[in-house]
Amino acid sequence: MDRFSRKHHDPHAHVIHHPGRRLMHKVPLKFVWNKVSGHGRKNVGAALNLVSFIDFLVVTVIFLLMSFSASGEMTVDKNVKLPKAENVEDVVDAPMIAVNGNQILVDGVLAGSTRAIEELGRLQKIDELFALLKNKRELWKQLQPNKPFPGVCILQVDQNVPALVVKSVFQTAAFAGYPNVSFMVGKIPKAN
Amino acid sequence: MGGVDVGDGGGKKRSTNSDINMIPFIDLLMVTIAFLLITAVWTTNSRINADAQVPGPPDPNKELTPQTPEKVLNLHIGDSEFSLVWKQGATVVSEIKVPKNQIEVGDAKIIRYPDLAKKIEEEWKAQGGHRDPTDRKLDQCILFSDNRTPFKEIVAVLDALYAPKRDMKFPDGSTKKLPVFNMTFSVR
Repeated sequence: MDRFSRKHHDPHAHVIHHPGRRLMHKVPLKFVWNKVSGHGRKNVGAALNLVSFIDFLVVTVIFLLMSFSASGEMTVDKNVKLPKAENVEDVVDAPMIAVNGNQILVDGVLAGSTRAIEELGRLQKIDELFALLKNKRELWKQLQPNKPFPGVCILQVDQNVPALVVKSVFQTAAFAGYPNVSFMVGKIPKAN
Repeated sequence: MGGVDVGDGGGKKRSTNSDINMIPFIDLLMVTIAFLLITAVWTTNSRINADAQVPGPPDPNKELTPQTPEKVLNLHIGDSEFSLVWKQGATVVSEIKVPKNQIEVGDAKIIRYPDLAKKIEEEWKAQGGHRDPTDRKLDQCILFSDNRTPFKEIVAVLDALYAPKRDMKFPDGSTKKLPVFNMTFSVR
């Protein structure tokens, strides 16, 4: 019964202390005590005002939460420099076709050569791209048989790629069952 | 630290003191800030719509009713000017030329055609066929460009094309501002 005595009744007694200075309180040296407690001199234990610090942190958290946006977070091929535009829409989840100065890639898989199209000098259907996109479409239809296929794909085209290549990719995508083509661009703020 | 001290209490009673420990709170805030800063998207990408949907062959089981073809804007990108040609079938309804006044914006030299955007809006107001908010169809524009035109120039023209917007009502009662045109490439 002794352990239920008043002396040990409060289980939190050891964590509640009288407010006061704590800095170097437990150092058993006289000169330290003299320094810490002041003894007529200016006290070295400075109390930090945390209110302004917490206010700052709360404001920063609120600002970051308000401005947080997950849309537009898409991987862009490192060899593609996207053009910029004002009148744009948010990106959607769709197959990505990256077109740089040398290659055409579908979700990172090689699907054709830009140089070959340029050298030929005329509009053409890109067979590798067509086959890859067709496979993707069939896979989507197998996975979601009850839903209508949206036919959306996004082109990440380098800003210096000629229109001939863009049109060839555009046409091939349409042939492969992706008529809703979007061009990925960098967003610039609207000029007033 | 934040805390409440209500005095010594007197006598043998322990003083009523409740210190709110602010350290976990500050830690939580710091971790939240770090998480938000790391996951923030600093370069936002967007998209510009194009459409390769062309009308397919007519259904042989349905009776055909002759319809007047819609007016379509044909936008030609020339070397020194743009031409905006409204066509209804093979008939040219109107044609205007817009000088290619290119403006470069920012350090990255982004090409802009503000004059073209204004002219396109004027043309749509004069000739556009789908202007009612309940009309969910968009006017069609066909873009004609030389095969050597760089993509950044095409995007600048598309940006001008999508500048004019109109209200569109949706079945749920909401209204959105959408571009007045839907664009496709001319394939030659």
